[in-house]
Amino acid sequence: MIRDTLAARAPAAVFAAIGPGRQADAERLFARRDMRRASTPRDASVLLVAGDIPAEASEALARVHDQIPPPRATVQWQGEDPDRIAARVAEALKDLRGTGTGEADRLPDEPPNEWKGIGPHGQGGKGMMGGTPYGRPMAMTGPDIRDGLQLDRYTARIGPFAPMLPPGLTLEVTLQGDVICDVSIDSPPFAQPADADAPDLCLARVLRLLGLDRAADRVLGGKRPGALWVRGAIPRGLGRIDGTDIRGRVAAWRKGEAAPLGPFDLPQLLTGAEWSEAMLILASLPPSALIRAARATEAA
Amino acid sequence: MTVLLLVLAVCATLLAGVVLAAVLDRALPELAGTMTRQRIETEAPDRMNRDLAPAFYLALAAEGLSVVPFAPGLALIDSPVGVVIWGACEALTIIVVFLHGWSPNAPFPLIGAYRYAAIGLPVMLPSMFVLIAAALPAESLSLVAIVDSQREIWNVLRQPLGLPLFLVVALALTLRGPMDYADAADIAGGTSAEDSGAGRTLWQVARLAMLVSVSAVAATVFLGGPLGPVLPGPVWLWLKTAVLMAVLIWLGNRVARTTPSRMLTILWVVLLPLSFADLIISGVLAL
Repeated sequence: MIRDTLAARAPAAVFAAIGPGRQADAERLFARRDMRRASTPRDASVLLVAGDIPAEASEALARVHDQIPPPRATVQWQGEDPDRIAARVAEALKDLRGTGTGEADRLPDEPPNEWKGIGPHGQGGKGMMGGTPYGRPMAMTGPDIRDGLQLDRYTARIGPFAPMLPPGLTLEVTLQGDVICDVSIDSPPFAQPADADAPDLCLARVLRLLGLDRAADRVLGGKRPGALWVRGAIPRGLGRIDGTDIRGRVAAWRKGEAAPLGPFDLPQLLTGAEWSEAMLILASLPPSALIRAARATEAA
Repeated sequence: MTVLLLVLAVCATLLAGVVLAAVLDRALPELAGTMTRQRIETEAPDRMNRDLAPAFYLALAAEGLSVVPFAPGLALIDSPVGVVIWGACEALTIIVVFLHGWSPNAPFPLIGAYRYAAIGLPVMLPSMFVLIAAALPAESLSLVAIVDSQREIWNVLRQPLGLPLFLVVALALTLRGPMDYADAADIAGGTSAEDSGAGRTLWQVARLAMLVSVSAVAATVFLGGPLGPVLPGPVWLWLKTAVLMAVLIWLGNRVARTTPSRMLTILWVVLLPLSFADLIISGVLAL
């Protein structure tokens, strides 16, 4: 009883699948008090699909949908007023609490690949390592990019709806620990109009990665971030393009100025960085510059 | 009879503290919200450790609180080595958080687990040095004796470096804000990335329980614990614990988190020497 009353007062935990042209609106929506952007589908009960998701990302969308614990609901957002969307999410949550059934899985619960009986233990790869049994990539030893010793390499594809990446961007990364030793772009970010480059949105993205969700909400509400050690927490020289690093770009956004960027090579910028540094670099690139760079890499 | 009362006091402090922490952190409705959802299982998880990790985390919080004196000379476990027992709770927390990241059999939780293990070691070292420094004036490792040694002047004034350093440790132990390397945003919630339903709520409750415990230990070691005029001992302890909890939650929401490799440098190069200095100064003063 108390639990249900409290649960009804909780901000709606929503996992956002953001499509082309909807990034700015979606990010502003989550600065509201009654909405909370879940960092993983496991923490959400509503899937918010903002805009038209391109066909090539529809399977990924279905997978994200199935990762949300039942009871779950999907809300489509085609550009209505944020108040109406917040009301529709609240209504969907109320229905879920009332009926408790929600939507069924969209994909069959089966492995993406068949068992491939290669190698001495039948899993592919060499010895006890590597291969992709049932489509699950396993780690395989390879040279460490820092000291040349042999260390496990794990390759995974991340995106297009991973909350720490720009919407639409799918990266195939090879990790050793959390060091990126190889990265390629599977699909570039979805196209976004210039409103996604607004200084407050850019600053808020960096603040969220620094663990300052409330400061990010304050910035989007037009207030000062009210956070300590923002500049100092960003390593000096990280993500340097055209002579400005992340610190420089963040300083410009804090003054409400845009931070225009020339062309850059995205995979080169990310290779060799630790995962958290790479995510900071990506968050510090205005969407328009990032989309240009990703498309240039794809074309090359 | 006294033992029964103390058991009750430990349980009540943990329970009330968790509720207070959830209110201060504006997380109470959210905790109830996750409770109402189903728990999804990942592929081939380590089920035993998945279930045991939050339980162990809660147990460590309770164990830490059990060596804290609620009134001068009165702790549930009045051990001559209370500081060592608390130190064990700190060290085992690293293992519990690692198991929490290990058990779902998924990449992001595992990255969070290894990150936390890497950060955990250099965090534990300053913790031990500041606690030993606090034990020097008392000439004992017992928390009861450490409280008694603060009748004239609290350790927060006698050893000004101690409490700030211990607050850094507290942020790390409770996976909070600038020291939350296990459950960070860049790895989709890290060790909690695959948690859903009641399992998720339990882990968050255990985090809050550890916040209560670590705040109570800090209040005891640096703020005189149950010492204070007019009001009875337990009330003073609760007040000081609540203040420290509020400070930790505020710091957690306001201070930026740097990248793990940079934090490692700061821990080894800045905080560890500072804790050494704290120990040396306290040692010289205690001679």
